Amino acid sequence: MRHLITATVNGRERELSVKSSQTLLDVLRDDLRLKGTHEGCSVGVCGSCTVLVDGKPVSSCLMLASNAEGRDVLTIESLARDGNLDPVQQAFLDRQAFQCGFCTPGMIMAVKGLLNENPKPDEAEVRDYLSGNICRCGTYVEVMAAIEDLTAKPQ
Amino acid sequence: MRNFDLLEPKTVTEACRMLDDGEDVRPVSGGTALLILVKQGLLRPRTLVNLKKLEGANAITRDEAGAVRIEAMATIHQVETSPVVREHLPVLAAACHQVANIRIRHLATIGGNLAHGDHQSDPPGVLVALDAEVELSGTRGTRAMKLADFLLGTYETALEPGEMVTAVTVPPVRGRLVSDYLKFTTGSSEERPCAGITALVRLEGDRPVEARLAVGAVAARPLLLCETDPTEGALPRMAERASEEIDPIPDLRGSAEYKRHLVRVLGRRALAAAWKEACP
Amino acid sequence: MSAVGSDVPRVDGNAKVSGSAQYTADIELPGMLHARALRSPHPHAKLVSVDVSKAAALPGVIAVVTRDDLEGLNPYYGAVVEDQPVLAIERVRCVGDIVAAVAAEEREIAEEAVELIEVEYEPLPAVFDVVEAAAPGAPIIHEERFETQAAVFREQLNLNAGGNVCSVFRAADGDMDAGFADADEIFENTYRMPPVQHGHIEPHVATAVWESPNRLVVHTPCQNAVGLQEQLARIFDLPESGVRVVVPFVGGGYGGKTHARLEPVTALLARKAGRPVQWVLTREEVFLTGRRYGGFVRMKTGFKRDGTLVAREVEVFYDLGAYALSGPANAKTGSYVASGPYRVPNRRLTTYAVYTNLPPAGPYRGVGVPHVAWAYESEMDRIARHLGMDPLELRLKNLLQEGDIFVTGESLVSVGISDCLRQAATGIGWRGREEQADNASEGSLRRGKGLAVIMKSTTTPTASAASVRLNSDGSVMLLTSSTEIGQGVRTCLAQIVAERLGFPVERVTVSAPDTDVTPYDKSTSSSRTTFHMGNAALRAAEEVREQLLEAGAQALEVDKADLELGAGGVSVRGVPDRSLTIPQLLRVKYGDSVGSIFGSCNFQVKGGLDPKTGKGKAAAFWFFSACAAEVEVDVETGKVRVLDIATSVDVGKAINPLQCWLQNEGSMLEALGAAFFEEMVFEQGQPVNGTLLEYMLPSMEDHPERFQSLLVETPHPDGPFGAKGAGEAVIPAVAPAIGNAVANALGGVNITELPLRPDRIVAALAEREAGVSGEK
Repeated sequence: MRHLITATVNGRERELSVKSSQTLLDVLRDDLRLKGTHEGCSVGVCGSCTVLVDGKPVSSCLMLASNAEGRDVLTIESLARDGNLDPVQQAFLDRQAFQCGFCTPGMIMAVKGLLNENPKPDEAEVRDYLSGNICRCGTYVEVMAAIEDLTAKPQ
Repeated sequence: MRNFDLLEPKTVTEACRMLDDGEDVRPVSGGTALLILVKQGLLRPRTLVNLKKLEGANAITRDEAGAVRIEAMATIHQVETSPVVREHLPVLAAACHQVANIRIRHLATIGGNLAHGDHQSDPPGVLVALDAEVELSGTRGTRAMKLADFLLGTYETALEPGEMVTAVTVPPVRGRLVSDYLKFTTGSSEERPCAGITALVRLEGDRPVEARLAVGAVAARPLLLCETDPTEGALPRMAERASEEIDPIPDLRGSAEYKRHLVRVLGRRALAAAWKEACP
Repeated sequence: MSAVGSDVPRVDGNAKVSGSAQYTADIELPGMLHARALRSPHPHAKLVSVDVSKAAALPGVIAVVTRDDLEGLNPYYGAVVEDQPVLAIERVRCVGDIVAAVAAEEREIAEEAVELIEVEYEPLPAVFDVVEAAAPGAPIIHEERFETQAAVFREQLNLNAGGNVCSVFRAADGDMDAGFADADEIFENTYRMPPVQHGHIEPHVATAVWESPNRLVVHTPCQNAVGLQEQLARIFDLPESGVRVVVPFVGGGYGGKTHARLEPVTALLARKAGRPVQWVLTREEVFLTGRRYGGFVRMKTGFKRDGTLVAREVEVFYDLGAYALSGPANAKTGSYVASGPYRVPNRRLTTYAVYTNLPPAGPYRGVGVPHVAWAYESEMDRIARHLGMDPLELRLKNLLQEGDIFVTGESLVSVGISDCLRQAATGIGWRGREEQADNASEGSLRRGKGLAVIMKSTTTPTASAASVRLNSDGSVMLLTSSTEIGQGVRTCLAQIVAERLGFPVERVTVSAPDTDVTPYDKSTSSSRTTFHMGNAALRAAEEVREQLLEAGAQALEVDKADLELGAGGVSVRGVPDRSLTIPQLLRVKYGDSVGSIFGSCNFQVKGGLDPKTGKGKAAAFWFFSACAAEVEVDVETGKVRVLDIATSVDVGKAINPLQCWLQNEGSMLEALGAAFFEEMVFEQGQPVNGTLLEYMLPSMEDHPERFQSLLVETPHPDGPFGAKGAGEAVIPAVAPAIGNAVANALGGVNITELPLRPDRIVAALAEREAGVSGEK
């Protein structure tokens, strides 16, 4: 069974025909070929597939694609504009806040979600919000430092 | 994930009719629990009924009498951040904040959480402590029951075929509630609770008139103990009773004996914290 | 020096933060099919029949493979012994053994087809405990004896030791009887370490396509492209040049992607389907595909009243699971360091690599050493407490020093171990003997500090080759089969090449492994890349440099020694206007400024141990590390909080200090997970917590409140710019440091089995209360 939905993906309104059993992640990766969103655990634990839906981070591996109807979806590919990295990406780069890089797009999208919700998080709030995004390389101190850089600057 | 058909009702009546169509039809709301079971092959539904698109199903309101009503499709994050919940039921907001992670809280719904009947979860114990009721709608109409009676066991609820949770209601509180929620994990911060302890002290004026202790995530169903006209000295005995009465499910996080011990320790701590705030 | 020794930003940074870095699962080939496998539900069973007719008939299914498709191939493979069939042949040896695989147009179709396969099994007795498996009379998991392709393994390991013991390795010194007779006291204890997951967030994945019947191309996040190429060539009876292995970005490895895992089956499916096939494992399958060896250690130590160690006897059992992979070599790595980085005149150290009916294990960061370090460092604290000595002093008194002759007979070089230990201890404010006195406590909270120190070898003998290509525009390409698995190898190698050429790092690009193009490398493992490939890259760059200087000397009519090479080209030292640009130098060399200049090096380290005596050269270099931790234990719940943790590693020379920090942070956090909660649990061979919902990895909230990564630099004479390795150095020291801190907090209650779960801590305390503590 298929469903015709309209969703805004990375700023562009798209009409999508999605299968009942497709997740948002499946549609992003398989149909729209947005491969920057990664699948790690498939059960909402690791955070590699984090995207923003209406500005809020979700596990795209557990969101039925049909529920993206009318929603605004942002993936890692939406961030850089005209060859310029988004400030969050730049902060990650400046702090070398990644190693293998597999969790990084999800981590960056989660940070976007955090700053949307709370532009000046303290360290405890950062840990609390991001603790569901797992970096097995263990690069957490640097992610926290990147966020500190971002929140120290006047927005 | 194995293929299934997704039906998308707009009204509860329509949804109930769709649900009342055999064993391999299941409701799905946030999907954060159900889709995992489908992915792991533990459930093989032919049809899922998508409750996420039901109209107006996620409001959180408080009536004049003070009852807080949360429509079933409110996400855990909506409950956690709702001004109504934060003001009147802060312990529920605190417990919801501790569910899974932010991404899941944006997807999962309170109705789905309760209907799933997973004992290792934060909200059920707190809601039982708050004496919450669930509203169930089915093809034969709507009924309400105490959440404590609704939760029958691990993944077991009082839901009948063709029935769904449409709201959870916390009755008005007489006087003032002071509360504390303690989530305990044995491993990573991200684990589901090994124990979720809710302690409530209800005050009328400055007088503590009732103490409650709810133990979630330890046994198949939350355990609730109440004591009227409590004294500070009686609180440890209450925790002791909880540890005696609870029937823990042993697992990798600990034996039944360890979990009883935890209930005693954490129950005492949660009650002491609530008491300290209630009667400084 | 400019490029080497500074925090040069990662060369792969932009790709990784922008989401454009391509991982294997991101590759889509035209006509690509998706694979799914049928895996054994039995831990040990005879495979009676496999009927795939219904699966093959399902629309959308293009190929189904079983043991019947292995005809004409060399169906057994393995890094050390060839004991693993591409698909189960006569029997299955663990839950998860692959019985059949399907390639279909869609993943869902492949999934459905797998369920239509009918298999008849005849269950066999199974054995899961490593000590039981090694004992006589245990059910035999492999009846056959296996071939070993690599001479280094044939000649340097005691293989096919009998029963389920795949291999035995012994290292020894002195006289045990005399040693124990000389001791004032003798301690004897046992320790256990459970299997754990590597936890790479990218699952195992492979994409295979046959370009022709004699030409296989595989994309895979393998840490060992050349080794995989060799194995696939042998399985499919092709020349090595008939197999091309390409490694895109790798989403974490930690050892878990060192060996062939799913590539042989993927290639077999692609051959039968005649189309490209991609197989991405589900997370549940990853749990059945690789893990760290579980381990059991028996340790007997004789010591003098002044704390001098005089004798130590150690027996270690490593649980390989159903197949060996590199197990025998890894068990050897644990053997000679089993008595710790200490002077012990009399010792007998034996390690057994043992098959069990659990899913196969394999190397995991620190291979073999975490198991023995958990034992010997826990013992050191017991001894210190017993003698009333400062654990730091006791260690310093016994630690190996520069020039000491090790149990393998080799003289130790670049031994910064005492500095590592002091630095780590200072990092958490170690107060000497006072640490043994009453600890700070508040309510139910008790504080404690602990130390641990370790040594580890890098796999030896091995080789690494590299080519450097200088283009006419002055840009440089390093061709290498070293894999960027997050450790920053591309950046580090670019720094080494840039340093030698005097070029800015941005001018150097470093290839991904592609066996059509990049030369031989033993593997990206054993913390060997900076040393081995660094040396190869350095020398290859040196060859390019020499050619440029020769051309310059010829054209400028000066002695080579008077020239210097820099970003702009070659110039006469002190006379900058007498210079030639790179295009000008090419013209001198070739008559035209086109083409490129190549340099190459095959860097080889000889050595290895005699399997009869355990003597020889175990390591091209040794690395040393220490960890110090302060914890707070809630004695009522058993929950532990790490307040402070410091790690210190002797890296020889930090090519990129920031990346060293990151390696140490990652090692620390993986080890912290394994110290407190990571543990793969099996019941009768069935995984109990085989998903990331049940088996959790450390989160940002689990990261200790304070962490320091400290470096010691004791230059190694053979290392590039003095560098050694850092990737795994910290990991074995962390769990014992934490364990010792917990024991210290609890006033000497030792827990010998990891992880330090809250329920174990509460139980150990209750046992002490009851007066039946096992504390020696």
